[in-house]
Amino acid sequence: MMFQLINTFLIGITAGSIYALMAMAIVLVWRSTRVINFAQAGMALLSTYFGYEAMVHMNSFWIALPVAMLGGALFAAIIELVFMRLLVKRSSSGHIASVAPIIATLGLLGVIRAVTAIIWGGQDVRIIGPVSNFGYTLGSEVLVFSPLKLLILLTVVVLVLLLTILFQKTNIGLALRASAFSPEIARLSGVKVDLVRTLGWALAGSAGAVAGMFQTVNGNGTFSPDSIEFSLLLVSGFIAAVIGGLESLVGAAIGGLLLGLVISFVLMYVSSSLFFIAPFIVLLIVLFIRPQGIIGVKADRRA
Amino acid sequence: MHKLKNSNNMGLFIFFGFILFLISNRVDELRVYQGASIAVFVIAIASIILLTGYSGQVSLGHGALMAIGAYSATLARNELHLPIVLSFFIAVLAAAIGGALLGAAAARLSGPYLAGTTLALAVGLPSLANQFSILGGEQGLTFDVGFPPMSLGESFTQYKWYFWISGLAALISMWLLSNILRSRYGRNWRAGRSNEVAAQLSGIHTGRSKILAFTISAGIAGLAGALLSMTIGTVSPSAFPLALSFSLLTGAVLSGVTTLSGVMIGAVTLVAIPEIADVVTNHIGSSENITTNLPGFMVSTLLIIAVLFVPNGPVEAHRVRSMKKLAKKKVNALTKPSMEGNT
Repeated sequence: MMFQLINTFLIGITAGSIYALMAMAIVLVWRSTRVINFAQAGMALLSTYFGYEAMVHMNSFWIALPVAMLGGALFAAIIELVFMRLLVKRSSSGHIASVAPIIATLGLLGVIRAVTAIIWGGQDVRIIGPVSNFGYTLGSEVLVFSPLKLLILLTVVVLVLLLTILFQKTNIGLALRASAFSPEIARLSGVKVDLVRTLGWALAGSAGAVAGMFQTVNGNGTFSPDSIEFSLLLVSGFIAAVIGGLESLVGAAIGGLLLGLVISFVLMYVSSSLFFIAPFIVLLIVLFIRPQGIIGVKADRRA
Repeated sequence: MHKLKNSNNMGLFIFFGFILFLISNRVDELRVYQGASIAVFVIAIASIILLTGYSGQVSLGHGALMAIGAYSATLARNELHLPIVLSFFIAVLAAAIGGALLGAAAARLSGPYLAGTTLALAVGLPSLANQFSILGGEQGLTFDVGFPPMSLGESFTQYKWYFWISGLAALISMWLLSNILRSRYGRNWRAGRSNEVAAQLSGIHTGRSKILAFTISAGIAGLAGALLSMTIGTVSPSAFPLALSFSLLTGAVLSGVTTLSGVMIGAVTLVAIPEIADVVTNHIGSSENITTNLPGFMVSTLLIIAVLFVPNGPVEAHRVRSMKKLAKKKVNALTKPSMEGNT
């Protein structure tokens, strides 16, 4: 029993750290442009396919990962430059101005899904992790915790630390926070707000790319728009970000870990078919009990 | 129902119904089936328009609410052996209850929070079918409304029967909706959408008003779900994918979320897209990937184009344009004589 408990915990923490990355990507975009990017999972999907192409040609995960990150960052930057700016210009007034960005990012998600399915669908898209996914042994028992899962955890911890330092301690971070907080004043103090926004999207794009790559190798090594892995990324990033309060990177990381644990325990101890509805229920509970999130200033959620 | 004003357009809807009846006797089976699908989409899109355009809430969970309606109608029909009309009624009721619960959560949220919550519901709910054996798992259940009554004649086909049922349901729900939107409730929703604080100041309980909008919208979506499962004959989780919720949103934006009158544009487009995609794939030589994904691609592209270029819908855009033209004409007419007078 004890053994199963430890296993469930370790699975949950690993999955949760991937959700944490997704949540941080969503928080980065939210903090730099006040848009919830529902296409984030789509971008992660596309970046993962970039990584897969690199994997096919170079045959090394350690080349594929940076390629995916770079591709993800570039793609996100282009989307912000071309698409989001046009959107802000076109539909900043009118009856549905407040919901237009939401609808637009959803449309983007649909387009990315369809395009990736047209290009890569039906193939056996497989990415092999850099280290083995066979569990460590503890006495006579085999843990589910493997070198790969350890690697994922460590990478995510390092990324969370790097992003937090970037956000809180550097000038770039200050510019990011200032442009989100008050674009007008930031512009007055010489911050290139448009550039900073693009940067926020690019950072989010590459964080999402890492999440996509790890989600793939942590699962059965395959990834497609119709896979369970992809649907999980789609909802869990948003839910983890909301649990964390949507404003804080650390909150997003904690939210992701919590969500991973909850899903893992529900899967093991309650029922495997509640797998998908569990995140929704977690979200509802959080919204009712602590709508400002775990780490979040007390303000209402009518953004 | 409170006081329903302006219910004098009933004649118009009866006239529509008569036209539909005439058309259904003229066209072939496939068109009749597509007509039934259009009627289903009209109902579903109208429910989104009510929610998004009038009360300002975005829902991606309407696919899930449709599933609730479809499963309730099926269970009522298969387990309790209720007549069709009654099982549709139960579909509306069950989905409305689900919508009221969701609306209670939704009233505290807005914008991206609501969209994300309903997104999680749309992804999560259909998988519940595997949890309870009465729902039939991935295979789903069969939903059979029975043969058309003999009194309609020998040549009356099954598809025509579906078309009649869903067409009638669409007419009734559109008539009800257009009256509700013109009533006190409709005005409350619009007031809350354009300025929540001002609406509260003038005595509108905006939270309650939003929950009511969600409940009615969900009930209508439930009816659409039951009708959808009638036309395909079965109800299963795969009939209500996330893509369905996306399509409905696209349909609503194409129709113009703030005007109920454009609803046909969205519904016809959604039914036409698979057919257009077929034509395209036949022309460019299809691989399987393209055949299965082209409709989804077209739906999403249309959504983006609509949001960027006609965010308030073609009907509203046309109205604004013609108003401007009219105003210009009036200004011209007014200024011309006076200018002559000056010289």
